[in-house]
Amino acid sequence: MTIEKVTAHAYPTKAFFVRMITRDISLEDCVLDLIDNSIDSAWSREGSHPMMLTDNTNLSGYKISIEASSERFVIRDNCGGMSLDTAADHAFSFGRNATADQEHYSIGVYGIGMKRAVFKLGANIKVRSTFKETNGNRLAFAVPIDVNQWLENNDPPWDFDIIEDDRLEEDGVEISVTELSASSESSLSSPAFLQNLRRTIARDYSLHLQRGLKISLNGEWISGWAIELRQSDEYQPMRELYEDEVNGDAVSIEIIGGMAAPPPEDIEPDESNEGDRRFGWYVVCNGRIVLAADKSSITGWGTDDWPQWHYQYAGFIGIILFTAANAAALPLTTTKRSVDTSSEVFRRARPKMRQVSKEWIAYTNQRKQALQEAKQKESEAVAVPIASVAARKSVNLPTFQTRTSEKMANIGYSVSAQRLRKLAQEFGNINMTYRDVGLKSFDYAYDDLVGVE
Amino acid sequence: MASFDVVNYSLRPSKAIQRQLVFDGIQKLKAQLELDNAVYVGFGSIWFTDFILAHKMLRINDMYSIEANDVGYKRAQFNSPFATVRVKHGLSSIVLSELYADESISNRPWVIWLDYDYEFNEALKDDIRSAIENAPPCSIILVTFNGHEMKYGAAGDRPGRLRDLFGSSVPQELTKAECKDARMQETLANFTLDYMQSTANDLARPGGFLRAFRIIYRDNSPMVTVGGILPTRGAVTTARQVIDAVDWPCRPPAPVIAPLLTVREAGALQSKLPSGIPLTRAEVQALGFDLEEEKLEAFTNYYRYYPAFAQIIT
Repeated sequence: MTIEKVTAHAYPTKAFFVRMITRDISLEDCVLDLIDNSIDSAWSREGSHPMMLTDNTNLSGYKISIEASSERFVIRDNCGGMSLDTAADHAFSFGRNATADQEHYSIGVYGIGMKRAVFKLGANIKVRSTFKETNGNRLAFAVPIDVNQWLENNDPPWDFDIIEDDRLEEDGVEISVTELSASSESSLSSPAFLQNLRRTIARDYSLHLQRGLKISLNGEWISGWAIELRQSDEYQPMRELYEDEVNGDAVSIEIIGGMAAPPPEDIEPDESNEGDRRFGWYVVCNGRIVLAADKSSITGWGTDDWPQWHYQYAGFIGIILFTAANAAALPLTTTKRSVDTSSEVFRRARPKMRQVSKEWIAYTNQRKQALQEAKQKESEAVAVPIASVAARKSVNLPTFQTRTSEKMANIGYSVSAQRLRKLAQEFGNINMTYRDVGLKSFDYAYDDLVGVE
Repeated sequence: MASFDVVNYSLRPSKAIQRQLVFDGIQKLKAQLELDNAVYVGFGSIWFTDFILAHKMLRINDMYSIEANDVGYKRAQFNSPFATVRVKHGLSSIVLSELYADESISNRPWVIWLDYDYEFNEALKDDIRSAIENAPPCSIILVTFNGHEMKYGAAGDRPGRLRDLFGSSVPQELTKAECKDARMQETLANFTLDYMQSTANDLARPGGFLRAFRIIYRDNSPMVTVGGILPTRGAVTTARQVIDAVDWPCRPPAPVIAPLLTVREAGALQSKLPSGIPLTRAEVQALGFDLEEEKLEAFTNYYRYYPAFAQIIT
C-alpha cells in the first residue's frame, strides 16, 4: 500500500502572526516598543556606542511625540528615519535575519516590535519615513497596510507595498494607526491608561530623558525620573563595574545600590503611602529600564536564602545595568518588560545583587535598636544622582550596636500584658521592661532545657 | 565553649585519616587545576593540622585561618606554624567576604576547607553559598560538619528541619528513616552536595561544580565531609578524569572508623601489610593479640594514613 500524501504542511498563516504575536504583550509595552525603535535610530545617529552611566551623549535634539485617542494612534520622531533598504529588507519581515548586523548597542533585538505593536493597535496602518541618502538627498516613502486585506491571501511572498510619499518636516518616522481594535480604543481613551503610560515612560526612559531626549504624550512633555541615592560619610552606596561574556559577546555590567530614602516610620504599610513603589531593583538593558522597582523573585526576593520583600525594606534602590553591542546578549525578554532569568549573565550577577540587598535588610533590622540616632544620621545623607556615585565594592551603612561574632536571631511575640507583669514579678521586678522579661525568660528556659553545652 | 577546649584535635585517628585522604586527593588534582599558586583558606584553630599538610604536601604558601573566638585568635596567632599563615579574626561570613574582595588572591585558585565541628545550619549554608559564588576558577571547596542525628531535632522533626535547611533541593517524600542512624549522614552528605551543585548551576558558573569529596568518618560524633571542584570550562574534562578514576581516594564506600590501637598493635599489623589477600583474624591472633573483623578491615584499608600518638613528657 502506498500513502497518498508524503509531506505535512508547516507553512504559517498571516493570521497566526497577527493574532499570536500580539497576544502576550500589553498595549503599553507595544507603545514602548515603538519608542525603543525611535531611540535606537537616534542612538545609531549618535554613533552607536555603549550607553554607560558615565556617558554624556546629548540627546536634546531628538523628539518623539505620541498622540493617542479613541480614534487614532500616532507616533512621530525626528530621529533620522528608516532607510529604503532597511524598509525593504528588514523592518517589515517577521523576525530578524540571522545575518543582520547587530552590533549597535540597540534595545531592539528580535525584529518583532514594530509589527507586533501596530497589529495590536489597529487594522489601518501607515508607516512613513523621511531620511537622507548617502548623497545627501532627502527621500520619503510610506508603507500603508490594510491588515484585513493583507490577511485575505496567504500565498508567498508576503510583501507590503512601498509607495512614494511627501517628506516629513524633519528626517524621521511617523507611524499612524486608525481603525483601532476595540481593546486599544478603550485603553487609549482611558485617562488612567494614559496617566500610567506617562508614568512608565518617565521611569523606563529616565536615562534617555536625562540626556535631553524629549518625549511628549498628547502634547505634554514628559520629564524623566531622576534615580538618586543618599550619601554621607556613613552612608555610601556600592558601585561595581565588571565584564562578562555570553557566547563570545562581551557584556558590561554595572551594579549600584544603597539607601534612596530612610526606611519607613511605621512597621506596617500605610495604604496612602505611595513611596514603596519606587524601591527595589531596577534592571537596565542598553539604557532602557526593563524592570523597575522590582520586589519579586525575578530579582531574587523570596528565593532560596533571600527573604521576601517586606515593607520594612523600603528605602532601598538597586540598579543593575547590562550593556552590550549585540542586544541578543542582554537578559531581555521579547516584551522588554522583564528579565530573562535563565540568562547566564543575569544569574552570575544575582549574588552581587543579593549581597547589597542583604546588607540593607540587616541595616533595617539593627536600626530598630537605636531608631532616633538612625533617623538623625539618615537625614544627614544627601541625595546624589546615581551617575556620580563613587566606585565601592560594598555598601557602607552605619551600625548601631556592637557587632557580635555570632549570627543573631531576633524574636518577636505577643503575650497578654497581665501575664507578662506576673512573670516580671516572679523574676523579681514588676517594672521590668518587656524586652528584659523576654530575654530573662529565654535565658531561664535555655538554662533549664539546654544547659551548658 | 570553643571546640579546641573540648577535643584535643591530635587524638582523633579517623579525623586524621580523613584529612590524609582529602590531601591525597587534592594532590592528584594539583596538575589539572594548576594549584601551584593556590591559596589555602580554613579554620586552623590552634592546631593547624590541615595547614601543615597543605604546606608540606601541596606546597601551598599563602594560607588564611579564620578564628572568631577572641582568646582563640590570640592562641592561633601564637601557634601559627609558618610565616605565610595569616590568622583573621572574625566570623567566617565576614572574613570570607573580605578575602573575596582581596585582589592579591582573587585570581588564584583557592583550596577552601570549612571544617566546622558543629552541625549544618543556616550560617554554615551561607558560607558554602558565598564560597561557591565567589571562589576563583579552579578552586576546591570542602566542608565538614557534625552529622549526628540528634543535632537535627527529634526523629519526627528531622525531615522538616532538613527541608528548611536545604530548601528546594530536598525531595518532597523525604522519610523519617532517611534521617536516622547511619543513613542520616548519607542523607546530609547528598543534600549538601546537591546544594553545592545547584548553587553553582543557578549561578551559571562556567565550569559548573564537580562533586569530588564525600567522606563520612567517626571518632566520637559521626562527621560528614563533602566538597568539589569549581573548574574552568577548559579544566572540566581532565579534572573529571582524576575524580572518576578507580584510585580516587575521596569517596570511600563506607564510613571511616579507625580502630583504637596501641602503637605496638599498629606496628605489628603494619608489618604484615601491604598484602595481596586480606589479613585474617587468625593472623592477628598469631601475632599475639586479637581484633574484631571490621576493625581489622578498617586498619587494612587505611593503615598508610593511620596516625601514631605518643605522650611526650616535657
